[in-house]
Amino acid sequence: MTIPPDSPQSLRASSLAPGEEKPKTHDEPPSGQLPGELLMWVLILSEITVFGAGLLAFLSVRLTDPTGFAEAQSHLHRTGAAANTLVLVTSGWLAALATRAAEAGQRRRLRLLLAVAIGFGAVFLILKGTEYADLWAQGIGTETHAFYTFSYLLTGFHAAHVLAGMVLLALVGWLGTPKAVETGAAFWHMVDLVWVLLFPVVYLL
Amino acid sequence: MTRATKAWILLLALSAASTALAASGLIGAALALPVLALSGLKAHVILRDYLGLVVAPGWLRGFDLGLSLLILAFAGLALAA
Repeated sequence: MTIPPDSPQSLRASSLAPGEEKPKTHDEPPSGQLPGELLMWVLILSEITVFGAGLLAFLSVRLTDPTGFAEAQSHLHRTGAAANTLVLVTSGWLAALATRAAEAGQRRRLRLLLAVAIGFGAVFLILKGTEYADLWAQGIGTETHAFYTFSYLLTGFHAAHVLAGMVLLALVGWLGTPKAVETGAAFWHMVDLVWVLLFPVVYLL
Repeated sequence: MTRATKAWILLLALSAASTALAASGLIGAALALPVLALSGLKAHVILRDYLGLVVAPGWLRGFDLGLSLLILAFAGLALAA
């Protein structure tokens, strides 16, 4: 069968680098195989394990002083953290759309989507920075209470991942290949995934 | 509407439900259990639709099982406090 040069199939094929396999889209039927880069999945599993262990340690230490942990938690910005959940899931959505745009060979669209996703990452960091600034203004540091030792460590480590993800999204946007964009978006979704586990444990329970 | 867009809307709804629960004044198990369940659902949606494990149901079940055990451990420790 001949594919017309301006058809979506042709556009998709034209966006592939020589030797690059066509990435599997998320709307294709199940194949049983992990989508994307295997190494990225190893990283995702590692990050879930590290943050999961940190959150389990946090909850274990909380058993020794539940009242102190509850009082310390009341100084955090719950509303800002809840807003940050919306910010990250929206940013993840844009990254997912960018992956589809990359598969369709729409470089301009994928770059625009990733730029806005990066912008949402910046909003996340601004809200997080506002919380840190407020805590420091109250004289609250990592040594003030065990709660803060854990919360600064866990949320700070996560924020570092957000920053790294923003750099990675910019890089894959510049490269513009479907495989690169899918890999960068997968890292970004991992950052999102860790946050939805971290947020209720540190801010709500 | 794409799968990613449906997932985004669902994630916004689940996040709004978590916030509503937290703002409701509930405490203890009445807060912890539904909030952690919603967290697990959000993680499932991210894995399935954003990360694309919908094409690998076996892997999705594996991740779901691991995250379910983790969240059950969170719940156990939260309720023990």
